[in-house]
Amino acid sequence: MTRDQWTDRLSEYLDGDLGIAERAALEAHVASCPACEAILAELRRVVARAQAIDDQPPTTDLWPAIAQQIGVSSGGEPHGVVSLAARRARRRLSFTVPQLAAAAAVLLLLGSGGAYLTLQRGTSPVPPLPAPIAGARTGRGPTTTLVGWEKTRAKYDVAVAELESALEQGRKSGRLDSATVRVLDQSLVTIDSAIVQARRALAADPGSVYLNQHLADTMRRKLELLRRASAFAPART
Amino acid sequence: MELTTPGVATLSRDPDEPARGAGDAETADVALAASGDGRAFERLYRAHVARVHSLARRMIGFDVADDVTQDVFVRAWTKLGTFRGEAAFGTWLHRLAINVILARRTSLGTERGRYHDGADVLDAVPSRPVVNDLSLDFQEAIGRLPDGAREVFVLHDLEGYKHEEIASMLGIVPGTSKSQLHHARMTLRKHLDR
Repeated sequence: MTRDQWTDRLSEYLDGDLGIAERAALEAHVASCPACEAILAELRRVVARAQAIDDQPPTTDLWPAIAQQIGVSSGGEPHGVVSLAARRARRRLSFTVPQLAAAAAVLLLLGSGGAYLTLQRGTSPVPPLPAPIAGARTGRGPTTTLVGWEKTRAKYDVAVAELESALEQGRKSGRLDSATVRVLDQSLVTIDSAIVQARRALAADPGSVYLNQHLADTMRRKLELLRRASAFAPART
Repeated sequence: MELTTPGVATLSRDPDEPARGAGDAETADVALAASGDGRAFERLYRAHVARVHSLARRMIGFDVADDVTQDVFVRAWTKLGTFRGEAAFGTWLHRLAINVILARRTSLGTERGRYHDGADVLDAVPSRPVVNDLSLDFQEAIGRLPDGAREVFVLHDLEGYKHEEIASMLGIVPGTSKSQLHHARMTLRKHLDR
């Protein structure tokens, strides 16, 4: 083995990635090669220097911008869930991609009854069956509704995963330009945040017909956005 | 001649593990934030922003580090419901940050020519001038490494990931990760303070 070949193994030696025989052979070489010995010492210093680097915060406070995006107060006021009206106003401003005309079967299944159970599943390991609320439920029995929602939830999760995968492929292949990706990412963040907020609001008011419908609408919008984005990606090739 | 024990590159500390007591407070903050408490989430932000921002700065550059850091915390807020507590919150956040950074660098179109394997890599960063120019310090030298070498070096030597993990994150084979790391170290040794 030439000296260069030994040199190329020095990092692996430092990291303990060499086998016993290789390590012994390299140590024997280094013992007789002042150049490799010097390089090894320098590589050790590089590693030590890297591990001594401290993390530094950003020069400007990013929290106000983050707080604005996620819909919480950035200071001075009590934090918590932002009013529904404020969330809706923000969503209208930042959700710029129009809805698709065609809806998949899973979208049709995302009714208010399903959304209600979404909340229950999201907040409790064993979903309590909802008490009857006038005008808020379908005529289906609770067991039938729960089984139906489990299927809908599974379809929703699969659809979202597949569409996100297609979108990621579009990103990686470069079929989506960076400006488009940023708009899509921002829209998805907004919708995801709205879903989280809706579920949290429903946790406080599980009987709210409006919030149930709002959650279903928001989930539907996410699917529609993903469907549109994943369809758009290959069209650019 | 006796050499010191190999394996010194392994991080001896776990930067994601909060101190005892602080860990309980952080666990409580994670639970509060997951239930919609913005103030608790702000505390998590304050505790972890330096690490996330430093990672972004080293991996993708100073210019977009602020923007990427914001993205990381916005996504963390929306995904808190998926945090199971199986690892430290810092570990979960760090992996999320890496995913966001890697997606961003891809969208920036910087993936081409990322993994150089030739000797020319060593020439990509000018060596420390012999005379009186101390402006290029060690961290600047890291920032001027070729993208692939810089990412592997940061993830391995600063963040403590193993080659197999890095290879999975970056979509390369472990051998490439090892090679890039060695190239990075060989370049950076020229920029050590003497």
